[in-house]
Amino acid sequence: MKDEKAPAQPEQAIVRTENLTVGYGGTPILKGVTFHVAEGEIVTILGGSGCGKSTLLKALIGLLPPLEGSVWVAGYNIAGPDRETALEAARKKIGVLFQSGALLGSFTLADNVALPLTEFTDLPGALIEEIVHTKLEAVGLADYAHYMPMELSGGMRKRAALARAMALDPQILFCDEPSAGLDPVTAAELDSLLLNLNEALGITMVVITHELASILTISRRSIMLDKEAKGIIAQGSPRDLMERSEDPKVRAFFHRNPELLHTAAKAASP
Amino acid sequence: MNADVLTVERREGGLAACTPSAPLVISTSRWYHEAFTQLLSDPHVRTIVLDMTTVSTLDSAGAAVLKNLQKTCRARGISLELTRLEDQVESFLRFSGFFEEPPPPPPATSAKRPPIVERVGAGAVELWKDTRDLIQFIGSVTVAVGPCCLNPKRFRPREILYYVQRSGSEAVPIVFLVSFLMGLIMAFQAAVQLRQFGANIFVADLVSLALTRELGPLMTAIILAGRSAAAFAAEIGTMKVNEEVDALTVMGFNVTEFLIMPKVMALAVSGPLLTIFANASGIVGGIVVGVLSLDLTPASFITEVWQILTVGDVAGGLVKSFAFALVVALVGCFRGLQTERTADSVGRMTTSAVVTSIFLIILTDAVFTVLFHVFSW
Repeated sequence: MKDEKAPAQPEQAIVRTENLTVGYGGTPILKGVTFHVAEGEIVTILGGSGCGKSTLLKALIGLLPPLEGSVWVAGYNIAGPDRETALEAARKKIGVLFQSGALLGSFTLADNVALPLTEFTDLPGALIEEIVHTKLEAVGLADYAHYMPMELSGGMRKRAALARAMALDPQILFCDEPSAGLDPVTAAELDSLLLNLNEALGITMVVITHELASILTISRRSIMLDKEAKGIIAQGSPRDLMERSEDPKVRAFFHRNPELLHTAAKAASP
Repeated sequence: MNADVLTVERREGGLAACTPSAPLVISTSRWYHEAFTQLLSDPHVRTIVLDMTTVSTLDSAGAAVLKNLQKTCRARGISLELTRLEDQVESFLRFSGFFEEPPPPPPATSAKRPPIVERVGAGAVELWKDTRDLIQFIGSVTVAVGPCCLNPKRFRPREILYYVQRSGSEAVPIVFLVSFLMGLIMAFQAAVQLRQFGANIFVADLVSLALTRELGPLMTAIILAGRSAAAFAAEIGTMKVNEEVDALTVMGFNVTEFLIMPKVMALAVSGPLLTIFANASGIVGGIVVGVLSLDLTPASFITEVWQILTVGDVAGGLVKSFAFALVVALVGCFRGLQTERTADSVGRMTTSAVVTSIFLIILTDAVFTVLFHVFSW
């Protein structure tokens, strides 16, 4: 899903941060981060381990109140003075795929997917069953509806978690390292599933990852974070970043070559 | 053997020419270490030349011996030179960082233990924060009760029943055993004394009053703390580790209503029920002692119990057990939610749930004792 349309202006964005500073215990991990994601776009957030990708995700889904700045999700400022009300409204429009899947271990797959439907809708049981079946079918797990999460492989659990995240037809899907811990084939299947959902349903996706194959396959735009800079060091099409970026950190990341970093550091030293 | 591994030839100017005669590997490294230590104990040594021709094999332990030698030499200003290194040995030493410049010494940090007053102060602040968080948590659960009362489906009756079974029905055997034995022991101890005065029948008074007013609720609560507080803390803690609590939060669930309320309600129901059962079991234990060693009949024992116990005694015990059950459930859930994302944290919080529950049960009991005394209950 790589179209050539120009990125949306910030005011049209469905996810937007302005001068966002987030961290733990008053210590910022990221400072002054500003970016936006247009409706229907798939944006990958990249960076090395410890650069703040998961911290940024927590701020975007409202699990971590920012130290400064604003976060707009689906039209609500979830970092504003009326944070709780905004979060309540925004959460009805988002789905989150956690790194571990985060399925409830004591519920079957069907019950996990049905959970948001039974809780937040007044649909009759038959309709909920139908929706659950559709969602599980979409991720290729219709035959496993009555399995417990622990009876499934890592890839299947991720797909089931994706079905649950999609249960209420969210406008935005946040994914935290969806292909982490999966073999290349299963990871590619999951990537393909995300692309299909984006194409078929127009869901905006913000995907945290450092898997190069996933980045190049699914995203039309990537935002790269850096630990030392405590913020964004590059953004653009992943192909452009890989082929044209002059930044040694970006080049080292995309070319999987730490020597590029060392060479740059030596050149910079007097 | 250790004297043999290293041949040392002393030359003029403090030069020691050393020739190893065995591979420098884990099995010989101790001998080499001792030989080098012995060599370095000579204050005249200024230069060590190590001819490595015979060393064709080197492992991590051997490299550690050489690095240690290098470190000591550097510290004492002794020159160390390794000659005729085989490529493979040189490569292994390079991998081990032997040829790298030593890192600068870390800045001196004051690792001094803070004074006792500071430590006590820090502990007090920590305790205050923990207490404040617990009070906030109890507040949030109390606030969540209102909306659930308006819409009883939000209490999740199925979940409540599940936890009533887990923490109530499944605790019946252990509650019976402990309370029966408590009644038995109390009756036996009392019988030894009371028999001297021919006051055998008062064993029934002692056992029934002590159980219904104090020991029944207390022992039940301690069993609940061991079983249910630990189970709740471990369950919620593991959910936190697996990001399940985060998932519920971002799906828009009220975690207090979804996870905490069923557990609190279940214990609020099963705590007093188990206490009634514990009281009855303890009295049965008393009857066994009364019949077997005090020549009492079950009927006379029960009649005495019936006469001495008032509704106030039983109700007072049940009020206590209700409060204890709330303490157990709230502390178990609170510690579960405090768990960090490590397996170690789940263990610590589970232990803490039991310890904190038992402490707060005793504290609550003390408060009740004072209140009952003041109001002559």
